Amino acid sequence: MRRKIALALIICGISIATVFAQEKFPDRPITIVAPFPPGGVADLTARPVAAAMEKILKNPVVVVNKTGAAGAVGMSFVANSRPDGYTLLMALSSISIIPEADKLFDRKPAYTLDQLVPLALFSADPTILVVGANHPWKNVKDLVADAKKRPGEISYSSSGIYGTLHMAMEMFAHAAGIKLNHVPYGGAGPALTAVLGGHQDMFASGPAVVIPQVKAGKLRALAGWGAKRIAPMPDVPTFKELGYDIEFYIWAGMFAPKGTPEAIMKKIRETLKQVVQEAEFKDAMAKLETPIAYMDAPEFQKFYEKDAKMLTEATRRIGRVEEPAK
Amino acid sequence: MLETLHNLYLGFSVALAPTVFLYAVVGCVIGTLVGVLPGVGPLAGISLLLPASFGMDATSAIVLLAGIYYGAMYGGSTTSILMRIPGEAASVMTCIDGYAMTRNGRAGPALAIAAVGSYIAGTVSVVALMLLAPPLANFALRFGPPEYCALLLLGLLALAYMSGGSILKALAMAALGLLLGMIGIDPMTGFFRFAYGVVELGDGIGVVPVAVGLFGLSEILLTAGEEAPPEIKKPRLADLLPSRQEWRDSAWPIGRGTVLGFLIGIVPGSAHIISSFVSYAVERRISKHPERFGHGAIEGVAGPESANNSATSGAFVPMLALGVPSGPIPAVMLAALMVHGISPGPLLIQQQPELFWGFIASMYVGNVVLLILNLPLVGVFVNILRVPYPFLYPAILIFCVLGVYAVNGSVVDVWIMIAMGALGYILRKLDFETAPIVLGVVLAPMLEMSFRQSLAMSAGNYTIFFSRPIAASMLAAGACLLLLSLLPLLRRGADWRGALGLATSDDKEDIHET
Repeated sequence: MRRKIALALIICGISIATVFAQEKFPDRPITIVAPFPPGGVADLTARPVAAAMEKILKNPVVVVNKTGAAGAVGMSFVANSRPDGYTLLMALSSISIIPEADKLFDRKPAYTLDQLVPLALFSADPTILVVGANHPWKNVKDLVADAKKRPGEISYSSSGIYGTLHMAMEMFAHAAGIKLNHVPYGGAGPALTAVLGGHQDMFASGPAVVIPQVKAGKLRALAGWGAKRIAPMPDVPTFKELGYDIEFYIWAGMFAPKGTPEAIMKKIRETLKQVVQEAEFKDAMAKLETPIAYMDAPEFQKFYEKDAKMLTEATRRIGRVEEPAK
Repeated sequence: MLETLHNLYLGFSVALAPTVFLYAVVGCVIGTLVGVLPGVGPLAGISLLLPASFGMDATSAIVLLAGIYYGAMYGGSTTSILMRIPGEAASVMTCIDGYAMTRNGRAGPALAIAAVGSYIAGTVSVVALMLLAPPLANFALRFGPPEYCALLLLGLLALAYMSGGSILKALAMAALGLLLGMIGIDPMTGFFRFAYGVVELGDGIGVVPVAVGLFGLSEILLTAGEEAPPEIKKPRLADLLPSRQEWRDSAWPIGRGTVLGFLIGIVPGSAHIISSFVSYAVERRISKHPERFGHGAIEGVAGPESANNSATSGAFVPMLALGVPSGPIPAVMLAALMVHGISPGPLLIQQQPELFWGFIASMYVGNVVLLILNLPLVGVFVNILRVPYPFLYPAILIFCVLGVYAVNGSVVDVWIMIAMGALGYILRKLDFETAPIVLGVVLAPMLEMSFRQSLAMSAGNYTIFFSRPIAASMLAAGACLLLLSLLPLLRRGADWRGALGLATSDDKEDIHET
């Protein structure tokens, strides 16, 4: 085993000193790459994780935002980084969509899923379906009935084509057998603005974004994509309860490049297990109104594979998007 | 009214508390520095410093970030005026007449007017923000894709007034800009267009590297290519302040820029960038001496600089009144609030009066701080011009590369800047103006997105642009403007010899200038 690692490292062209890194890991700053801009979910999760890791490991942990092409730039950066545990990725659900979308267009994928190994899951927020408060639909049944009457006329906004919010709505439309009009926007913020302004009829988004608007009476929540109802919205049913077999979460989890030595992975995983116990981390996540949904690597792996399979199917179903015909 | 005053009193008691006040000052100083650094605009500035605000309380954090935001808008004018390098996209128009003023030895007045204009625009627009936020915000929300598209088309009309030379050349440059703006992921289908396997190009070509390259680098290259280094009039102390005439010429442009900027600023999205372009066009259109523009007209500095500052406050309207992340910068600021456990929403003003009114008051305070900070700095900055070119230009080059790289940590951006520098050099040698290219690059992605979103909403039916009142009236206004601008062209067409003679003498002057 040791020889194998040593060999791998020498091939990578690293000095002998780092061969002992696995005993002394970490001996230099660790970088967590957030592939989205500051203030986004990936960034806001990565920062408290980094702060807690720093405390536990007594070693600097830095968050770097490497943004671009809907996260593809940052994710491919980590996927192609040296697998030594010093470059980690804070990814969101969209990680499994991008390679599939690349395939759709016969592009050379920016990275492939097997280049990244899951370490731990921190949060998994179900998306919530919200409609403008002035619309007549009081529940999913009304909505579906209306959508069946006028296919393609009810519109929804999303954070972007093949984005997570697009996927969630596509799963719903597919399960309900309805046709909706998708109007993509450049991010979740503009998508929310469009529904508030009455330009689009509905959209799906995380609870933290939706709850203040629902409380203020501007939006109405119809259903959630979670396995169970969420605590701040006990009256909002899940799609599962309503008989639609769909589940969708905006999750945030940590990944390492494939080939990272087992011992180092173990050390990081143990650290992360402690991270989620830290009071400061819990406090930070509570302020973001994001419940912690910690899973260690084996469990996360299963969750992630199931999720990836679902998203891959949805991406394929959407296929290449044609311009609306006249 | 009484309630507003009472609330304002509450706000000032928050904003003038030592720690909050300190953060306002720190924010303004950092913002000014960020703005001065070429390429690093307000978005990059507050994004980089967002994590630093996590440890503070919510009010201090938001005050600090807002300080950086409008500080950067102030600072952005400095390099534009002194070196023709736009510190951020909104100060592209300032480069033209601001730098021409520097060449005429009027750098001091240009900087002073930019600071005073920004101060007035900043303060007036905060008053507007305070009094009108809730009703305006609801109006702003009515801007859907068709309205946005119409607004951007109006912005495109600014083109007609942007160039002093040939309209044909200006249109060709704008078309080039629009084409460059097509690079990147197709927003409706997810196709990568013209990316040639470079993942970074998926987001398109950034405005900042294009602007820095076309304006800054090309200027450096042109100067280096001259046989004798250009004579720059060394600033004298008496020349630091604007003359009475310059004050008078600036008053109205500042007023118009303020109103215009605020109105464009409240529209959700990134349209606030076009406020300075539109303001420049308006000033030129109504000026009695449009021929002075491009050769150091102070109105060309006063208008756009005021407009981009009041657009800053305008952008806060939907954010504060409705909790809507109405643009990239408000989105980052809302994230800062969320980190502190404040959920931004329509109830923010009621639930967090101290935060809202403290923020408003801190904007008054911040504008005063910036004025006090910037006016004495005029003297300092102007002295940069005393540095001989062989030392100054390489240093500027380094700052350009650093600044452009720092924003996204992307080497691709640096290459884009270099390529644009070369392109700008060639184009300016051939007497093409480069500002229309930047306008094209700014507008193309927004215009495309809103145009195609509108058609997606109407299932391909074009009547959507005419059946919605706001969009229809903006398009009508645009059509009128277009006709108005064609009128002199048609009249002049009769006497084409005169037009030709005028154009050639202009060209000669241009060569002389550069």
